[in-house]
Amino acid sequence: MSKPLKLEKKRFGEFVDVLLSRYWVFGPVEVDGVARFRRIESADALKPGFPGTVESPKGVFFPQMETMLTGDRNEAASTSGPEEPIAIVGARPCDARALLMLDRVFGTGERTDPYWTRRYRDALVVVAGCTEPMAGCFCNWLGSGPFGRTGADIMLTDTGDAFVVEACSEKGSGFLEQAKGLSLSEASGEDQSKAEGVRSAAESAMPEKTDVSSLKEILDRSWDSPLWDRLAERCLSCAACAYLCPTCHCFDIQDEKLPGTGRYRRIRIWDSCMAPLFTKEASGHNPRPAGRERLRQRVMHKFNYFVEACNETACVGCGRCVRSCPVNIDIREVLAEFVNAG
Amino acid sequence: MKDWQPKILAFLCNWCSYAGADLAGVSRIQYPPNIRVVRIPCSGRVNPIFVLKSLQNGFDGVLVSGCHPGDCHYISGNYVARRKFAVLKSLLEFVGVEPGRVQFSWVSAGEGEKFAEVVTKVTEDIRKLGPATRLVKNAVSAGAEA
Amino acid sequence: MAGVEQALRETARELLREGKVGTIIGYVRGSTPFRSTPAFIENEEEADRLVFDVTCGSNLARYVRNHGRDGRVAIVAKGCDGRAVVQYLSEGQLKRDDVLIVGVPCTGVLDHGKVSRLVRNRNVTGFREENGKLVFEGDGFEVTADREDVLADSCLRCRYPNPPVHDVFLDEPAEAAPDGLHWQELEKFEQMAAQERWAFFEKEFARCIRCYACRNACPMCYCEECFVDQSDPQWIGKGIDPSDTMLFHLVRALHTAGRCVECGACERACPLGIRLDLLNSKLEREVHDRFGYTPGTDPDETPAMATYDEEDKQEFML
Repeated sequence: MSKPLKLEKKRFGEFVDVLLSRYWVFGPVEVDGVARFRRIESADALKPGFPGTVESPKGVFFPQMETMLTGDRNEAASTSGPEEPIAIVGARPCDARALLMLDRVFGTGERTDPYWTRRYRDALVVVAGCTEPMAGCFCNWLGSGPFGRTGADIMLTDTGDAFVVEACSEKGSGFLEQAKGLSLSEASGEDQSKAEGVRSAAESAMPEKTDVSSLKEILDRSWDSPLWDRLAERCLSCAACAYLCPTCHCFDIQDEKLPGTGRYRRIRIWDSCMAPLFTKEASGHNPRPAGRERLRQRVMHKFNYFVEACNETACVGCGRCVRSCPVNIDIREVLAEFVNAG
Repeated sequence: MKDWQPKILAFLCNWCSYAGADLAGVSRIQYPPNIRVVRIPCSGRVNPIFVLKSLQNGFDGVLVSGCHPGDCHYISGNYVARRKFAVLKSLLEFVGVEPGRVQFSWVSAGEGEKFAEVVTKVTEDIRKLGPATRLVKNAVSAGAEA
Repeated sequence: MAGVEQALRETARELLREGKVGTIIGYVRGSTPFRSTPAFIENEEEADRLVFDVTCGSNLARYVRNHGRDGRVAIVAKGCDGRAVVQYLSEGQLKRDDVLIVGVPCTGVLDHGKVSRLVRNRNVTGFREENGKLVFEGDGFEVTADREDVLADSCLRCRYPNPPVHDVFLDEPAEAAPDGLHWQELEKFEQMAAQERWAFFEKEFARCIRCYACRNACPMCYCEECFVDQSDPQWIGKGIDPSDTMLFHLVRALHTAGRCVECGACERACPLGIRLDLLNSKLEREVHDRFGYTPGTDPDETPAMATYDEEDKQEFML
């Protein structure tokens, strides 16, 4: 990879301007008091503070509601994707890793999802490493960390009045080398050791790790564990954890009338295995009738089934579900209980 | 659009208001043609979601009409409805939907004239408000993509 | 509060020891200092885990309705949770003997979303009350907040801090918010012009992700099949079209009209901090003013929307 570069924070806007000239740019912005990933159209909309968001950036590539096609009784036409490739700035390492995981699902193999690939394939992922963990973060349990590079094209390390900018992929180095007007200079030895200091401080600030290496095998033999009942009692069976999660990807497809137009649209919308009707069959039978079965499904999918099928855990330890669960069900406690129960 | 005409959905109870509308018809009483009628057995049959969905689907206004209190064919349907209507109306007004868009009346089977007056009033109220824009589901409001 | 907690644990142990109940539904410490989590206590040893303080934000009443255990359960009930249980009695969801209500005085609970935003999502390792303020601390930071800034909105205007019906009441009753404060925010809101009110709700609901945390946290939303899940007919679209989202919230408010006990669980459950509770508050005022009914205060009273009075006001009828 190319050498580390330096971007002074006061010139961050110029960096964003270059991105805006080539990409549709998304980043975390405050909307009515809540930080959300939104498309920005001018550099001053994005501040280099990168607030942590309640929701994950998966919606940038896998929108909560996406119109697949529109039509009338005679014909239908597919919608087109974004006019420019997408750049996302200020995603966290856990989020970037999650996007790569979603690409496993939607973007690889015999059949790929064109609605996903048209957004993700050419996307530039600029990650802001975490200088301190947020409450609930546990990415270090799952093989990642506050400056993990999986899924990132470019990594920004905040050294105070500047970022040390490093390419993490061909796409990243291509952009850094070819884009004009980026206001980057070479990072000096001092800049680099400052960055190294920030990174190791962040690593040490991470909460103590629970060893979950044997979790998959433990879950293999935990189908009837009473722990599921204990957990399910509190769970509200809402979809907050699933919708905020950067790796959850279940969806539904519906056709909807557009009133008064004689037209309809086919939309893909997020769905969640936690919803009571998720597995309800036409006969009326529901194989996951109660919260217990649904909660078990969600945990098993993320920590057992996905590991079995794709050899990776479908959780990146971002902590969003921990922070937002209305009844404080903490997945870290859940995992630790299973590990301890053996 | 200068030739916009209000489109109003009218839920009329079978025993009183619908009959009242019928009487207006046979009596050749003229009233604006902007209502589309849905005949229901009783004003108590109206689920507030019918009213909300009507607005969502593009109606500019909704009228619900039933028997006078005390005269309900099912004895108390309109009393129950009255409470529902009060609550629905206050909620719609609270969120900023124009009060004139959703209106309620008592029209008996013998009140052909009154029916025509009610429809005329409601149509004029809605004509002044213009096309409904709040709550309407249309392609412009088609969700948060990109 | 320490006195209440002590009394609570003793009462819990006694109830279990004497076999008066099989399970106690209460709160235990959560995974962070400013949260607690619901728990089902089944034996005396576990009773020591029970807590009751400003972190107890969930509404426990919803668990009373279908706990799936044999016999009687006890509930640790602050005012609003106790009102919810009373409303269950009014609605025939429970028999009085099914539940033993352990009343606790409540001086308000934290809105954990507000706290997280206040500390910018940093890890809180402890918090304390100091000179009437709340202090949250973590590694390298300390943030002090006024109670009004971190307590749940519903608590700031609470009229029923103590459950109206109880079998046992621990400690001294808490004081309700001053009269008139309850409707103050609503009245201020109603002074806004219609377009402003519409713009406000459009903005609030623009961030709704239809997770239904609000609905599921609400003790009054207990339909076997919610209208949003019906597919025949499908009442509203399942996507986040603003029109569908608005309809969801309006219809849910209508379905809970005259039943909402203003516990604020819906607002606290919302991961995006949406002020949907304003809709419920408005309808509770309407039901109170028009029909003289306050949900969850008298188990023998018929809920307002399930009955009628021949003399009901009808000034809005043509």
